Amino acid sequence: MNCQEVIKFRSVVKRVSRMVRSAAVLLVAAASLTAAVPGDAQASSGAAVPPKQPWSFLGVFGQFDQAALKRGAQVAVQSCLTCHSIKYIKFDQLRQLGFSELEVKAMAEGTGRTKKDPLTSSMDPTAAKESFGVVPPDLSLITKARKGYEDYVYGILVGYASDSDLALANRVMADGKIGAEEAKEVASALLLDGHYPDKMAETLKRMIGGENFNRYFPGNFFAMPQPLMDGAVAYTDGTENSKVQLARDVVTFLAWAAEPTQMERKSLGIKVILYLVVLTIMLYAVKRRIWAKVH
Amino acid sequence: MSKIMEWVDARLPVTELLKSQATEYPTPKNLNYWWNFGSLALLVLIIMIATGLFLAMHYKADANQSFDVVEHIMRDVNYGWLLRYAHANGASFFFMVVYVHILRGMYYGSYRQPREILWWFGIIIFFMMMGTAFMGYVLPWGQMSYWGAAVITNLMSAIPVIGEDLVVWIWGGFSVGDPTLNRFFALHFLLPLVIFGVVILHLWALHAVHSNNPDGIDLHDAKDSIPFHPYYTIKDFYGYGIFMIIFCIFVFYAPNFFLEPDNYIPANPMQTPAHIVPEWYFLPFYAILRSIDFLGSFSKLAGVLAMVGAIMILFVLPFLDRSPVRSFRYRPLSKQLFWIFVVDCIVLGWVGYNPADATIFNGALPLIIIGRTCTAIYFGYFFLLWAITALDIEKHQPVPKSI
Ligand code: HEC
Ligand code: HEM
Repeated sequence: MNCQEVIKFRSVVKRVSRMVRSAAVLLVAAASLTAAVPGDAQASSGAAVPPKQPWSFLGVFGQFDQAALKRGAQVAVQSCLTCHSIKYIKFDQLRQLGFSELEVKAMAEGTGRTKKDPLTSSMDPTAAKESFGVVPPDLSLITKARKGYEDYVYGILVGYASDSDLALANRVMADGKIGAEEAKEVASALLLDGHYPDKMAETLKRMIGGENFNRYFPGNFFAMPQPLMDGAVAYTDGTENSKVQLARDVVTFLAWAAEPTQMERKSLGIKVILYLVVLTIMLYAVKRRIWAKVH
Repeated sequence: MSKIMEWVDARLPVTELLKSQATEYPTPKNLNYWWNFGSLALLVLIIMIATGLFLAMHYKADANQSFDVVEHIMRDVNYGWLLRYAHANGASFFFMVVYVHILRGMYYGSYRQPREILWWFGIIIFFMMMGTAFMGYVLPWGQMSYWGAAVITNLMSAIPVIGEDLVVWIWGGFSVGDPTLNRFFALHFLLPLVIFGVVILHLWALHAVHSNNPDGIDLHDAKDSIPFHPYYTIKDFYGYGIFMIIFCIFVFYAPNFFLEPDNYIPANPMQTPAHIVPEWYFLPFYAILRSIDFLGSFSKLAGVLAMVGAIMILFVLPFLDRSPVRSFRYRPLSKQLFWIFVVDCIVLGWVGYNPADATIFNGALPLIIIGRTCTAIYFGYFFLLWAITALDIEKHQPVPKSI
């Protein structure tokens, strides 16, 4: 290195260390922020965070499992469509998932429509409001419209109280109050906050009373009765039709329905970004070359 | 070719303009990468106008249709998803770039004499950007669009005497509704073009006084300057490359990162969302607004004044700073104040993101206390900057005579 280069090198080192220092200040600030997560925001929603699921279609190279998409469409049409609409998807579009024209026609006619129709619910909104107190939301965008996205919708479908949960509730509430040990047991089984035994007792009472308890719904109770049970839909491809499997499949379908263009987006993205990376490297090389003359 | 140019130049001196204002335009040779953010802002503005124009060809402003029409663009229009995601993420990137651009100006003293008018045009642009972004967010007519519009327009009612009537006039009815949506669309179309005009004024002012530089000194030595082309054209293009890579990563692989899930629920005037949050770039100002809650019936008005004042105070910054030295590089105290200010803005943003009644440390510390403290620090920055420079408290380091 000649003298000038040494000076330049020193100034670069100085500059970098300055930047590191300011970055450190910002990082410390950011870290102390994340460490201090506000408590009330959590408590007021009163529901557990749904665990992350390994969805095949997420991530840069993620792809839809085509078989799961087809099964999911079947679950959606046969089960969810009783109450919900998926109005931004038309029956005809299901051919993109690998259904034949005849199959699509049969699916549409099975619910009294033609293949040109959107996937609207057979239940009319006033009737729905009468039976449930609310109109079930359209599901076209549901995986994008809730915090937790796909994991949340999946959590909703599998988060209901099972028979053993009910047995636990009955056992705990038999003496009318919740002990410290019981609170812990209930908290871990139903993902409730163990710090508030009164609130917990209230929840268990409503659960025993037959209201729709769900671990992941904010507030724990809502109007949707458990839609999926083991074996609720008959699969033709030999896949086991357990509740969990039905839920995985229908959520996969709903994730597609929320944005049918997402695979096009991702495959275009790779090309665009690769192009930009090459271009930017070349621009950098030219920039170095031009600026070499300036001291 | 040269014949044609001669003919044109005799009537409109294009070559002369390009030479003096672009190719040979003298620029300090030591500008660092923070100086890329002005041209980056221009790039994002162009992206926003271009994508916005094509979106407008398919969009309809109608309370019964807008939500569906946006989904129609996402699903049925060729590359409609690209237009919409580029436009939505572009807004966030616009603010990131402009915030860095403003902070760059604050750190290197670019607002100081003789660049006050340049600085003021910048703040006017920033103000109009906020208005444009706010009204644009209303257009998809989702839950956050509707309730965000309701909360923010409602602030006008704090204005004494005319407030209530003013809000009704802005809404075009007795609540946010179809007329509001339509006028917001008209204004959202217009404002960016006005911004474009002010950017031209901004650049005119820049070229009249020339760029500041990291040392914050006036350039007397001809050797300190280099022609804009090719040095800064290539440097700006390199910056564009880096920016576009980061931008595209979001557009193609995390397009909903900056969007609220609630805005994928159609607007419903009968159902208030559990937690109304503005877009991230408004959060520090939102926190300042909410931090004034201790003045009884005056709280709302005072909050609005504090929020507007937080931006307006930038206008007088050139007169608050009395140091003989521009760049904070040579001003140890100012530099520390600056970094406290930056961290303070981030903390304000975090306070603004959380519900007004949230607490930390198991209820021991209400966020509102942090919000008030940070609001005080925000305005304290401007006061202290004045105090340490006007009262000669800061001893600056030696400043180089030339670059
Ligand atoms: C018997 C009618 C019925 C069926 C069948 C049904 N739902 Fe629902 N669903 C409802 C009702 C009613 C609500 C509204 C609940 C509320 O807001 O209290 C709802 C709400 C939801 C929600 C929104 C929860 C939230 O966060 O607001 C999701 C997600 C959902 N249903 C998914 C499904 C899926 C997936 C299926 C098919 C597997 C399905 N539902 C089948 C009645 C039904
Ligand atoms: C639409 C938004 C904006 C665009 C397109 C824009 C564009 C530019 C460009 C191209 C430059 C020259 C390059 C540079 O020095 O960085 C510049 C300089 C400048 N801008 Fe902006 N700008 C915008 C917003 C703002 C805002 C909001 C402010 C401050 C409140 C501001 C303050 C300045 C200042 C002070 C300079 C001179 C910088 C210097 O030479 O030190 N600008 N702007």
